[in-house]
Amino acid sequence: MALKHFLGLLLVAALLVAGLPAAAQSETITLVVWDNWVRDAEQEMIEILNAEFEAAHPGVTIKREVYATDDLTTILPLELAGGSGPDVTMINQGYSGMGALVKAGLLLPLNDYADQYNWWDRYALGLHSRNSFSEDGTQFGVDNVYGISNTAEVVGVYYHRAIFEERGLAIPTTLAEFEALMNALLAADVTPIVFGSLDGWPAIHEFSVLQGVYITLEELDAFMYRLPGGTFNTEANLQAATKLVEWVDAGYFSPGFAGMDYDGATFGGFLNQEGAMWITGNWMTGSIVEELGEEPVGFFAFPSDEAGVPAIVPGGVGLAYGIRATSQHPDLAAEYIDLVTGPRAAELLFERGFFPATAVDPSLLSEGTLTADMFDVWAAVSEANAVGHWLDWTAPDVAANIQELMGKVVTPEQFVTDVEADYTAR
Amino acid sequence: MGRFADALAASTAGRGRPYEHVHHAYFYILPGFIVYFVFVLIPIVNTVRYSLTEWTGFTAPQYIGLANYERLLEDGRFWNALGNNAFFVIFYTILPIMLGLFLTSLMARGNLRGMVIFRTGLFVPQVMSAVVVGIIWRWIFDYRGPLNAFLRDIGLGAAVKPWLGDFTWAPYAAGIVGSWVEYGLCMVLFIAGVQSISEELYDAAEVDGANAWHQFRHVTLPGLQQQVLVAFVVTFIAALRVFDLVFVLTRGGPGRETQVVSMLIYEEAFEYHRAGYGSAMALVMTVLIVSVSTAVFYAQSRREERENAR
Repeated sequence: MALKHFLGLLLVAALLVAGLPAAAQSETITLVVWDNWVRDAEQEMIEILNAEFEAAHPGVTIKREVYATDDLTTILPLELAGGSGPDVTMINQGYSGMGALVKAGLLLPLNDYADQYNWWDRYALGLHSRNSFSEDGTQFGVDNVYGISNTAEVVGVYYHRAIFEERGLAIPTTLAEFEALMNALLAADVTPIVFGSLDGWPAIHEFSVLQGVYITLEELDAFMYRLPGGTFNTEANLQAATKLVEWVDAGYFSPGFAGMDYDGATFGGFLNQEGAMWITGNWMTGSIVEELGEEPVGFFAFPSDEAGVPAIVPGGVGLAYGIRATSQHPDLAAEYIDLVTGPRAAELLFERGFFPATAVDPSLLSEGTLTADMFDVWAAVSEANAVGHWLDWTAPDVAANIQELMGKVVTPEQFVTDVEADYTAR
Repeated sequence: MGRFADALAASTAGRGRPYEHVHHAYFYILPGFIVYFVFVLIPIVNTVRYSLTEWTGFTAPQYIGLANYERLLEDGRFWNALGNNAFFVIFYTILPIMLGLFLTSLMARGNLRGMVIFRTGLFVPQVMSAVVVGIIWRWIFDYRGPLNAFLRDIGLGAAVKPWLGDFTWAPYAAGIVGSWVEYGLCMVLFIAGVQSISEELYDAAEVDGANAWHQFRHVTLPGLQQQVLVAFVVTFIAALRVFDLVFVLTRGGPGRETQVVSMLIYEEAFEYHRAGYGSAMALVMTVLIVSVSTAVFYAQSRREERENAR
């Protein structure tokens, strides 16, 4: 009796399933997403977005996997090539990240979706070239866009307001003023710039801000995207290198900077006021606010030779969301990307101290806070079209070269020649 | 093979003719061999194949003959890194063995109390993860760290340096950490070896009027020959394939002063997606390690033969 009952039910169920319209077959869809949101606040943000997406798409399940940035360069290609990888994934930019994937035909060009959803307006048009490659993956910065980002990054100068105020120092508006400021600090026995180069990559920022004073964006773009005429062997780079060595000799950087790491000695040293300023990326804002609050530290744009015009500084957009070329659900994937890179995501990111690439309502910012300063710097730098590049995207060994320059084992002339040789060898 | 067959023959003696069931032995080694075959032999053969290709690691490899090896010959970074590995041999191999021998000779005769604790302590650096060791020493060498604080305290403020970032001192600093890791291993080997040297030899030497140095030179050292050999091979291999320790300490810097070949292999194969070129580098290192190890063992067996012939 019970069995008969059960079989009857089963039959009804089977008929129901067979009779359902095609749309309801999406019940079985699982969208696999790989991302790089590792910190607690980030996880919270993305889980909220995922829940909202699932709520708006009944029957769709998001299977989320978290990976460290390096894994997105090392593991991601293998998974994508195996055909089993994520439908949506965050991608590291540059030749060895996105470039290698495009070259292997593993990513979907997003131009049509970008038109459909108007992703072009998410942030400055020029920034989309960071996520663009030629179809064969050999030319960076042109043709197809393969990813959309939701965070922005910019290098600037953190400073202790108290140290400046006590000595009546103002935020410098030209490089000359910046140097005068550092001399004043030295005279008062304060280390001007907290800096440590043990990890290598932080040294890129110190060189880049000076490079940004002398170089034009065209020159820098040509180098970064390896356009015809792209070279490191320029007068601007030589000037920047010479200036950087002058700064080392003048004692503007922390004593023993070669032996200081980033997360411990440098970050700790800045928090403890072992120096007045710290030239690094806006990604430290959250951590600084967590330790000291919003008021004690400010952030300003690195000045150029011309008053009020910021120098070209490394910056751009964070890791980008892309779609696997062989994904079975590209439309759904695009819809997901639209959500996680859109205004709702920006709002959630902002609330958690991150820096969304899409503009947020300025009324949310309160004057005199570090967060407000950070938005001002980004606005000033974007407005001046001075968003530069991470040199190691195209010259992966450049940190070692800058260490050699700052350690004075090579001359500025030799440094420029060395970087150029490494650049052309790749 | 000879010894194995002898032993097998001895064990089967009386149960039929010797060597009769020798093929059974292959079944016993089969499980181990399968693991070895799948996880060691196949990868090695594949590394040889990939080293002859241009390969991203995830797309179809393209055969390019010996081009990777030609490129290797002209790659300054490779030779620089290999030179750094050679430099580390001094700190990973030669220093620990000398230090181990010296300390063993001091302790060889006396029955030290708490030897077990001492031995365990010596072995701890070997057991600890290299990343942990690296982080500890990075802290010690930090510019504001304990080493520089100590130097200042004893009035050697002039010697204070950013050790791991200094172009002159970083290779030595990174090397010393290697010595610290490896000398415990050497000592444990040597202490065990010394204990198996017959006391009578020392007594006889003493009767002949041998002083401590003579006893070391003519009794301890010859008695430890096997252990020194093992220590040499093990630490030599460690010096040539070091990666994690140096990576955590200096990332190969400052400049390229401490960059080692393993770091280049990792970069080439996984970061720049040139797995073919990375394979070629890996293969050269494998050949280097195998030939040095073989040469050492060969020299040793020749010497044993000579001594046995005497």
